[in-house]
Amino acid sequence: MGAPLLEIENLRTYFHSRSKRAFIRAVDGVTMVIARGETLSVVGESGSGKSVTALSIMGLLDAGPGVISGKITFRTDGGERNLLHDLEHYVTLGEQDGRIMEVSKDEAGWRKQVERIMAEVRGKEIAMIFQNPKSALNPFVTVGHQITEAIRLHTPTKHPREAKERSLYWLERVKMDSPRLRFDNYPYGLSGGMCQRAMIAMALSSEPALLIADEPTTGLDATIQSTIVGLLAELKSELGIATLLISHDIRVVSRLADDVAVMYGGTVVEYGPAPEILGARFGLKHPYTAALLASRPSAQNVEEKGGLPAIEGEVPDPIDVPRGCRFYARCNRVTEDIRDACARHEPALKELTPGHHVRCWLYGD
Amino acid sequence: MKLAATKPITLVLARELALAALLLVGVSFVVFVILYLSPGDPFSVLLEGQISNHAARAGLREALGVPRTWYVQYLSWLGNLLQGNFGTSIRTGLPVFGEIARVALSTLYLTLGSMLVTLLIAVPIALHSSVRGTTALNWLLTMLAYVVSALPVFWLGYVAVYVFIHQFGVFPLTARIAASSERTWPFSLLPIFVLGIGNGTVSEVVRHLREEMSRVMGEDYIRTARAKGASVWRHAFKEGLLIPMTEIIASKIPFILGGAVIVEQVFNWPGMGRMAWQAAQDRDFPVIMGIAMIAATLVRLGSLLQRVVYVAVNPRASNERRGAAWAE
Ligand SMILES: Nc1ncnc2c1ncn2[C@@H]1O[C@H](COP(=O)(O)OP(=O)(O)OP(=O)(O)O)[C@@H](O)[C@H]1O
Ligand code: SF4
Ligand SMILES: [Mg+2]
Repeated sequence: MGAPLLEIENLRTYFHSRSKRAFIRAVDGVTMVIARGETLSVVGESGSGKSVTALSIMGLLDAGPGVISGKITFRTDGGERNLLHDLEHYVTLGEQDGRIMEVSKDEAGWRKQVERIMAEVRGKEIAMIFQNPKSALNPFVTVGHQITEAIRLHTPTKHPREAKERSLYWLERVKMDSPRLRFDNYPYGLSGGMCQRAMIAMALSSEPALLIADEPTTGLDATIQSTIVGLLAELKSELGIATLLISHDIRVVSRLADDVAVMYGGTVVEYGPAPEILGARFGLKHPYTAALLASRPSAQNVEEKGGLPAIEGEVPDPIDVPRGCRFYARCNRVTEDIRDACARHEPALKELTPGHHVRCWLYGD
Repeated sequence: MKLAATKPITLVLARELALAALLLVGVSFVVFVILYLSPGDPFSVLLEGQISNHAARAGLREALGVPRTWYVQYLSWLGNLLQGNFGTSIRTGLPVFGEIARVALSTLYLTLGSMLVTLLIAVPIALHSSVRGTTALNWLLTMLAYVVSALPVFWLGYVAVYVFIHQFGVFPLTARIAASSERTWPFSLLPIFVLGIGNGTVSEVVRHLREEMSRVMGEDYIRTARAKGASVWRHAFKEGLLIPMTEIIASKIPFILGGAVIVEQVFNWPGMGRMAWQAAQDRDFPVIMGIAMIAATLVRLGSLLQRVVYVAVNPRASNERRGAAWAE
């Protein structure tokens, strides 16, 4: 299908920990690709950097130093552009044994540049929905007005009445019950599920090329969760919109994803076609992916614990990232041959079979 | 059924009105008692050195129809007030209402003008620093605002009078600066600026607005607005600016009125503050009571404005109010 829609290369997003006077390496070299019309799902434990990756793409991070390096190539009909274009002019990195130890950033210049690039993109070419839809909608504005605003901002429909018709169309499209009534409701009168439908309607109403959904079902009742997932699946096949879906819930992922990226400690440790990553029989797997799948909770567990898989041990501290493989402390597949490598050197992301990448010393050469 | 159909704003108004009535009665009672307990009475001030005979004085009181016990006095004052009669000034013998009305406009002009000055200074500083964080510029501006705010308003007033009037000879100081007179309006800017800048209001408005705006900027729905490419200001306006602004203004009205008393003294401004000052010295109790009533009404009006804005703006509050009315 030609060049992919979005290509993230070696994205790094750091924050500053005041108390520890050190960097929080929230996203530390993320590489992934989203093909046109396909859903890439990002999975990983809490704190692995999934949300920060999404917010970095949208240029929505306020805490410093924020995005410090990388390239995000976004290809639309209008051509190809780097969403982090000219970033290097505003950031200077100080490295020490291949590690970034110092960042100086012209925050104001950087902000201006981000706003310049993203003004064309946010809401129009890339739309985003979040978890906790009730707080994500503006409580002071009617649901209808919030959708109409997006339509008038990003589509040729400018006339209020036409925009309203268009909003109603989208409310119907997301199967909102009694859309005409809901149009005039304020968010507080709506359930979480209805709010998420409204958010989805708002996001899709500008017909973006990419939808980023950060845990869109977290915080909703289990039954509502599965209807929202069903809705997303339907919209995906009807509209063919590319999606970056962040989720804890392997069941959600397996229903929607074409590709899966597994994140651990701020990096992608494995990514490739969903059947290969999630399938039980496929042999080549990163030990972390295998552990994640093995700890996949039963359906009952999911409802009780919110779908968080439990793997023994602790996720690496993003402030004090281990030198070698980030999973080393918890890995049960280290052999004597590779132990030294695992402990000292971070493995690279290697393509094992076409489109399937793994970051582990067990594989390759 | 009936209540559910009532507009939430109407309910708020009704509730506020009832509260205001109670409050006014309370304030008038307290002020009256204080006046009664404080030494001196209008007759000794008025008749100073004229009639020294105690019996003659009592006779005069009787002749003027002043009842003896304080609560009878109070009740008759209250009764008159309910009929719209504020009584007559002991000093001038003119109706109190007319006396106050004559000067109320210039006080309104002074206080509203000073509020505008305060907001024009405070809002930009607050908004800038809530969005940009602490930059050198807004640190400097904030510090300046805090320092100036900390200056007592009488001191600032005297310095302004000295510098502008005695040094530069502008703003000729006369007792007859009337806000309504067209030729003299520039003279009125000085006291307005002094009251707007001093009095501690600027720093508190800055602080409150900045806190609220920063909090709102961190809300999920603002992130959504940014993600959809909409104007953050438009989405943050109601909760981040409109509501906190009415809150802080409403809570500052008593301080602004208090400041006005001082500023009117310093600048010889013919307003209610100066009249209150004069009346206090004369023990002119109908005037004092009248001004106290007006001041209390203004304070109540401020909080009414705040409630109305809050309910009008916040869909949830308007419905809760409706729900509460149901329960009552
Ligand atoms: N604004 C911020 N300032 C400082 N640290 C942050 C900030 N945002 C995120 N982090 C840190 O970055 C790391 C990655 O966070 P992120 O929110 O991306 O995790 P996640 O994978 O989305 O987790 P979850 O599943 O809990 O949502 C965490 O350690 C988090 O504490
Ligand atoms: S590199 Fe080594 S420690 Fe890391 S996952 Fe592979 S085997 Fe485990
Ligand atoms: Mg997250």
